[in-house]
Amino acid sequence: MANRTTDNVKLGVFVLAGLVLLVLFFYMLSKNESIFASRFEIKAHFANVSGLVSGNNVRVAGIVVGIVEDVELVNDTLVIVTIALNDDMRQIVRKNATAALGTDGLIGNRLVNILPAAEPAPLIEPGDILLGQKDISTEDMLRTLDQTNRNVLIISNGLRETIDRINKSTQLTTLLDDESLSLNLKAALLNLRSATGQASATMQDLNAVVADVRNGEGSVGALLRDTSFAWELNQTVRKLQAVENQADRLAQNMDALVKEVDGAVKGLQNDLNYGPGAANLLMKDSLTAARLQNALGNLEQGTARFSENMEAMKHNFLFRRYFRKMEKKKEKD
Amino acid sequence: MARFTARFFREAFHPRYEFSELIRQCFIIGYKSLSLVGLTAFIMGLVLTMQLRPSMVRYGVEAEIPAMVGISIIREIGPIITALIFAGKIGSSIGAELGSMRVTEQIDAMEVSGTNPFKYLVVTRTVAATLMLPVLVILADAIALYGSYLGVNIYEILSFKLFYTLVIDNLGYYDVIPAIIKTFFFGFAVGIVGCFKGYYSSKGTEGVGRSANSAVVMASVFIFILDLLAVQITELVWNL
Repeated sequence: MANRTTDNVKLGVFVLAGLVLLVLFFYMLSKNESIFASRFEIKAHFANVSGLVSGNNVRVAGIVVGIVEDVELVNDTLVIVTIALNDDMRQIVRKNATAALGTDGLIGNRLVNILPAAEPAPLIEPGDILLGQKDISTEDMLRTLDQTNRNVLIISNGLRETIDRINKSTQLTTLLDDESLSLNLKAALLNLRSATGQASATMQDLNAVVADVRNGEGSVGALLRDTSFAWELNQTVRKLQAVENQADRLAQNMDALVKEVDGAVKGLQNDLNYGPGAANLLMKDSLTAARLQNALGNLEQGTARFSENMEAMKHNFLFRRYFRKMEKKKEKD
Repeated sequence: MARFTARFFREAFHPRYEFSELIRQCFIIGYKSLSLVGLTAFIMGLVLTMQLRPSMVRYGVEAEIPAMVGISIIREIGPIITALIFAGKIGSSIGAELGSMRVTEQIDAMEVSGTNPFKYLVVTRTVAATLMLPVLVILADAIALYGSYLGVNIYEILSFKLFYTLVIDNLGYYDVIPAIIKTFFFGFAVGIVGCFKGYYSSKGTEGVGRSANSAVVMASVFIFILDLLAVQITELVWNL
């Protein structure tokens, strides 16, 4: 009897486990399919639904929030899709949202994506109609792909021609076979590296100089940054301008003076050449010049004799004392 | 066989009911099959995942393995494999048990003593098989999915939450309800065939073995036929 009870308990646990699993499974499915959620219906207009059927999922921001309730072909350009959205979407989806057809994954089931618009609008209400966006069909994609393939073909043909030309080019072959080229290239690269290093060092120096200038250090820094220096420089420039003005006036005066002197010289020259005065005679008349020379000779002789006389007078007892007095006075001064 | 089935329904809905024997049979048929079914289901889920993986990787859709294994197990493999294991274990057991009772004239003795052997032996076993197989299938599905989860984690790290989310996301009532309903029919088929073969066993002990063997073979064929019918009926009903 005890064994029977144990068996019954085991059986009870076994059956209960199965039922619990079944209930849990149905609960998760119902949660997933929102089968107990209250829904409201809206409609979406499409020109082509590309295989959409009732029961397909409806997503908002990538989350399943409803199902396609019905797909109705109204005429050759209009398909009305009835969408059952979960009730909580009344607070999320807006009237100006659009409906776009999509696919779950690359080859999955068709679905409807409800896309929000940028502009503000009131919240959606039952019976509202959403505009459907044009679907990008596989045919469209293939057509674009075909065009892309053609372009790729053209590009690859061009590339092939270029490569053929490169392969046939003797200059390039020569260039590639030239062993010294790599050495030269290496040397050039080394030089370039060195030059780059130097340029970098120069730039660093330049940066330091610029930093000094910014800090107002050095002549250029002072020139650019020191306001007192600028004031002094300004004053100097002003003074230089004044000096320049004075020099200008001086030059004008000099010019006038030169003109006057020039006039005077010209007058003198004229008088010398053509004037009735003694100068003209002195310069032009050779006889007068000879007389003058003679007179000068006589004057020189006279002067020499006068010097002798004066020397004699110095030694004369009448005048000796006077001359000595004069010499003493001269020494005192 | 048809008359036997018709008699089953007549006897099943007609008092007096053998509840005590039914509970005992449920324990024997259901609980005692759990270890075998559980082990088979675990290996089935694990192996299915491992076998499926290379093909899925080749097409770059290994992320879909949980979804694919989930659908396969819930819709088809879980019920069918469990039913076949059940047929092998329970069908043969019922066939052999009733067969030996028949050849040792125990059933005749029951009739003579006033006990209804059909009600006591056939109805209880068939009802127990009908009720226990769905429970076994549900548990087997869960165990197989856990095996599949471990199978996925041999090659990559996948959280259990993501695994069951992927499984549940790709399943619907359309997948689960018909799969559960058809297991009642599978259980009934196994029970009724086993009882039929055992109940009408003959030719001594040799007949017992034949009854057990033919019970398994016939039950297995019935399971496949019922599965085919279940798919057709499901398609028909769901698209109405």
